[in-house]
Amino acid sequence: MRNDRVESGQRRREQRATGELSLQSNLSAVQAKGAMEKLVAAYNKTGGAQVKLNTVASEIYRTQLPTYLTSANPPDVYTWYAGSVADSYAKKGLLLDVSSVWEGLGNYPKAMQTLSTSSTGEKIFVPTSYYWWGMFYRKSNFAKWGVTPPKTWDEFLAVCKTIQSKGVPPIGIGLGDTPWVASAWFDYLNIRINGAPFHRDLLAGRGRFDDPKVKAVFTKWQEALPYFDPKGKSFPFQEATSALLGGKTGMFLIGTFFADSAPKDALDDIDFFQFPIIDPAVPVAEEAPTDGYFASKKAKDPEGVKKFMTWLATAEAQEIYVQSSSGTAIPANPDGKSADTPLVQKGKAMIESAAELTQFFNRDSSDALQPTADAALTKFLDKPDQIDKILKDWQAAAEKVFNA
Amino acid sequence: MTVAEAVTTSDRAAHQAGGGGDRRTKRAWKVSPLILAFVFVPFVVEAVWVFWPAMQGFWLALTKWDGLSAPTFVGLGNFKDMVSDPIFKTALKNTAIWLVLFGGLSVIGGFGMALLLQRERRGVGIYRAALFTPVVFSLVVTALIWRVFYQPDGLVDSVLRGVGLGDFIRPWLADPDTALYAVILPALWRQIGYVMVLYLAGLKAVDPALYEAAKVDGASAWQRTLYVTIPQLKGVNSVVLSVIVIDSLRSFDIVWSMTKGGPYHSSELLSTYMYSTAFQSTQLGYASAIAVVIFILALAVILGYLIRAFKEES
Repeated sequence: MRNDRVESGQRRREQRATGELSLQSNLSAVQAKGAMEKLVAAYNKTGGAQVKLNTVASEIYRTQLPTYLTSANPPDVYTWYAGSVADSYAKKGLLLDVSSVWEGLGNYPKAMQTLSTSSTGEKIFVPTSYYWWGMFYRKSNFAKWGVTPPKTWDEFLAVCKTIQSKGVPPIGIGLGDTPWVASAWFDYLNIRINGAPFHRDLLAGRGRFDDPKVKAVFTKWQEALPYFDPKGKSFPFQEATSALLGGKTGMFLIGTFFADSAPKDALDDIDFFQFPIIDPAVPVAEEAPTDGYFASKKAKDPEGVKKFMTWLATAEAQEIYVQSSSGTAIPANPDGKSADTPLVQKGKAMIESAAELTQFFNRDSSDALQPTADAALTKFLDKPDQIDKILKDWQAAAEKVFNA
Repeated sequence: MTVAEAVTTSDRAAHQAGGGGDRRTKRAWKVSPLILAFVFVPFVVEAVWVFWPAMQGFWLALTKWDGLSAPTFVGLGNFKDMVSDPIFKTALKNTAIWLVLFGGLSVIGGFGMALLLQRERRGVGIYRAALFTPVVFSLVVTALIWRVFYQPDGLVDSVLRGVGLGDFIRPWLADPDTALYAVILPALWRQIGYVMVLYLAGLKAVDPALYEAAKVDGASAWQRTLYVTIPQLKGVNSVVLSVIVIDSLRSFDIVWSMTKGGPYHSSELLSTYMYSTAFQSTQLGYASAIAVVIFILALAVILGYLIRAFKEES
């Protein structure tokens, strides 16, 4: 009886399987979209199920993802982020268990495995690339101003002071339209002062934003506030990138994706340094947002999906993507070759030597918590004397999201 | 009302054609199936696409829902939360400011422009067209243009510097004290042209004989405006009022494309707050409750006016 039911279920699934998989992608930037098309074309030549790529503008994708996953006939495979944000969907029982894919991924680092495991212990995610955040600057400008990349917080403040004395705002930022960029400062200060485990607990709702340890992050941040570019409040990070490249700001804490909106010749003059160390006793953590894929639990052909995801996890597939995109992403597979520029090699080395990795504010919490951080952090940059009230409001707003 | 109108029209037609008293009473009871179809088909479509989702919105306002799991009933909990929600209070206050400034100034500006441009003079068409042009642009395009004006070292800053008011320069859209007003300005820029056209149409309908009579009685230009023009525009006023109340409460696109309600909620309207709670924080129950508040506000303002208008008529 039970066997019968299983068999008929299988038959039904086979009938429904059309030999075609749908891949929903949020990589809508020109270069990334082209790279995805190449990737899918390469897989379709291997003779598995034919994959159909559907690219959606990233902002629409983010708001529609819950709808895709809960619909009656959802797309099969999705581009998304590893960590808490993927687990939040797994908790609702929406994601396919891809543990069998991971059987062949023994060479992946431990951190990637943890990021791809749901709170119930199933593997739900296949990472394919990651990138890093750093304090980017123009080598020629640093030489002109006579400063060298700082290692500690005090050295950093000294560099800021020197650059300011040359009449240039030392720290660039772009908060108009892209207020989430400020979260990088919060993330880094928190993991440098309180450490990555505290940071992750806080973002998962196991801590409080009005904790004195969180306040310490903001009092440290205050020391650097006079050096921020006042115009940064008005324009998005793309324009902050232009300001950095044009020598109108000294340094810019940003992820490597900024390179997508930078002219190629300027990139040769770009270098970065690690976010300064504040407390040497805290194990060094870096932000390394990991991108990849998960699949719907209702996938019409789970075996075909797993086969596709197994292929996506190979070094070969990841190299196809990295080579055709802007080239600053690093393959998740340790055997995959990243772009051979000194910048990428340096970034890769920094991430590999880190004791702990974090993702980014929204990825370590949820997309719903991000707006609460945006409001709190932009307000702090404007009214740094109101820390206590800001943190109280932030905690209240965060509780609302966690209880939603 | 549509039925009644339709019936009387068909009655009249029947009366003219046949003229028989018998036939007339029969017709009154027997409504043509075509007319029924004209009434009920749109009603069914409206019911499916408008009434049913609206009812669902009211129901969702009483629940807690993240869009993924099933909604849970919380009674009036969402409305209770609003009372203690500082962002909701800011949004409500800003919506009131918006209603008064955007609504009030667009009526005053639109009416003033209509008065100035009502008389047929050479070249008046060019001025009318110029004032109406912003209405043609999508609000998102308007927002983009004005963002360029407001950007650091942009047009606004250069003009201020040029006239020696450089000290007033601020990050217009990023300063919580100026953001809301910096958004109202382009919204007004557009709305004034629209209201002007409504009033121009109204002014055309005023009987010139009234002005002649007033002139003969020795009324000044000011008195003619006050005692002839304004009372004659009563009909247009109710249209303008409905339009600006609805436009104020649903203003979303221009705010969203200029500031997204920021910085830190200082230019938040109820409409932008509803959107961000629904689609960014995925608190769909709470967002529906905000939508209900917007609906009640719009209804209250418009009903209040209509009731007064009807009373005056009777």
